[in-house]
Amino acid sequence: MSDVVDVATGLEFFITGLGKGSVYALIAVGFALIYKVTGVLNFAQGWFAALFGLLPVVLSTSLVVSFEISPLVAVAITVFAGLLLGLVLEFGIFRFFIGEPVLSVIVVTLALVASIEGIVQYLVGPGYRAYPEAVLPDWTVPLALGVELQGPFALAIVFAVATVAALMAFFRYTVMGSILRAAASDQQAAMVLGVSIERTIVVAWAISLTITSIGGVLFAMSTSGWSFAPYTNIGILVFAAVVLGGIDSIPGAFIGAITIGVIEELGTGYLDPVVAPGFGTVLPMLFLLVIILVLPYGLFGTERIERL
Amino acid sequence: MRGAEGEPPVVALDNAEIVYDRHFLAVQGVSLEAHRGEIVALLGPNGAGKSTILKMISGIGQTERGEVTRGSVSFEGDDVTNAKTTPMVDRGVTHILEGRRVFEDLTVEENLRCGLYRGGRRLRSKKSDYELAFEYFPQLEDLLDVNAGYTSGGEQQMLVIARALIHRPNLLLLDEPSLGLAPKLVEDIFETMREINKNEDITMIVADQNAKETLEIADHGYVLEGGQIELSGPADELVDREEIKEFYLGAGGDESQYSEVRHYKIRKRYN
Ligand SMILES: Nc1ncnc2c1ncn2[C@@H]1O[C@H](COP(=O)(O)OP(=O)(O)OP(=O)(O)O)[C@@H](O)[C@H]1O
Ligand SMILES: [Mg+2]
Repeated sequence: MSDVVDVATGLEFFITGLGKGSVYALIAVGFALIYKVTGVLNFAQGWFAALFGLLPVVLSTSLVVSFEISPLVAVAITVFAGLLLGLVLEFGIFRFFIGEPVLSVIVVTLALVASIEGIVQYLVGPGYRAYPEAVLPDWTVPLALGVELQGPFALAIVFAVATVAALMAFFRYTVMGSILRAAASDQQAAMVLGVSIERTIVVAWAISLTITSIGGVLFAMSTSGWSFAPYTNIGILVFAAVVLGGIDSIPGAFIGAITIGVIEELGTGYLDPVVAPGFGTVLPMLFLLVIILVLPYGLFGTERIERL
Repeated sequence: MRGAEGEPPVVALDNAEIVYDRHFLAVQGVSLEAHRGEIVALLGPNGAGKSTILKMISGIGQTERGEVTRGSVSFEGDDVTNAKTTPMVDRGVTHILEGRRVFEDLTVEENLRCGLYRGGRRLRSKKSDYELAFEYFPQLEDLLDVNAGYTSGGEQQMLVIARALIHRPNLLLLDEPSLGLAPKLVEDIFETMREINKNEDITMIVADQNAKETLEIADHGYVLEGGQIELSGPADELVDREEIKEFYLGAGGDESQYSEVRHYKIRKRYN
């Protein structure tokens, strides 16, 4: 009897890890996409997710604005806002940093982190905000041994898998996808073929923040509400996930994120009681250190081709 | 008088001075012309300014903080001094950069695919997409699925030319197509360049250190030295000039060994 319970508990940890990992994956894939196409390490990716996670609350309650929008529409607007913000950032900021040293671009993304914290403080403060009931899935997916997968996690898994598959097909089979990769591998050589670097960067940012907005909203849904702190944690975990996957690899970011999610959840479930509370959250970081030592290019990163 | 009567040269530099980073003077007082249908050779040792001139014609030099600070560059009669790359590409200029810049982690086919767009629009022709490329470089057909980074130096050179060819340029700028290739391969590739020039009516400017092979296919040549033109003339006349023979063709030796050439001699004789 107790064996069954143990297996069920283990399965539950694992499934929750998969779900969380998929949420991370949506944000991590956004991160990897920007790095792959533009070479920018956007440290603000998790903070963007926080902003997007908050948006449905802001839009659908009269918290800040004086009108209320149907919660579902609010979610749709949020995803659209992801697309829009991607465009705005490119036109407003990153366009001017093409060809600038990596360090100055990193400083810009850190400035974005600080700005977002400021905006959030101004809008709602750090406290917890319940999500509008109407957008919270009231269903779960029953699995074996009485274990259930939460609705938001189920959605995250579906979205993450679909996004990764779509992006891989896009990069492999479409002309635009080839051009984005070409521009990433050699900007000048792409430019003399008429490729507009600005345009490739716009496309990357728009797709990236659209995906990230979905991740940000689903994460809030999984906790039935929004609060700021967990997102900053995600911002760091996502970085670990991406490094694990090889930074510029889309499927790598996905698998890295899933791995991090599962490690975190199993660590929290089994080790927190033994070691110390919060150890589960640190575990992925320890894991990351090992990975960086053993696999400098991550699992799927591009190794520079060395010809003899 | 070169070129057809009344037709402006495809490219003309008039007394151009080119500066990098606002301070570094790379090219000084250079005037040259390429007329429709010609192959023009830009010769000279390392650092002579060959690549710099090509980069300012295609506009890509601006990404390296290059600027034409005096004189002018014109394209088909229009002033294009310090024009950006995109409008130059739209006018039909395709630049093959120095160093065989294939997109390494893309396959050969994906590399070719990147040549299919110009001005944001898909190029259409009667021939199928890559047929033109295979006509001149049939070897590439067997390599379509290979990562370009894993192909040989010669194959990479063919690939970048093929990719540019698919791009259907009016003016093709080729920078060091012979770099690091075996003599026999250089001969083949240059012969193919000549065929492309004649059959497809593509004007070419070829910057190369291999004076012998380049002058063999060129109509006209310019010899640069320290950012200035030291010598110019019809290719068949240049080949016979003693100084060229002595310094650029090597006295029967390896013609690409410029590091051993004592450049100042040329300057002394022609200043
Ligand atoms: N991006 C750059 N920034 C600053 N200086 C440059 C740059 N590119 C070239 N130069 C300088 O301009 C001069 C001309 O260089 P350029 O590359 O045009 O010579 P080249 O004739 O093409 O030589 P090579 O045969 O070695 O390719 C050199 O002194 C070089 O150091
Ligand atoms: Mg050069």
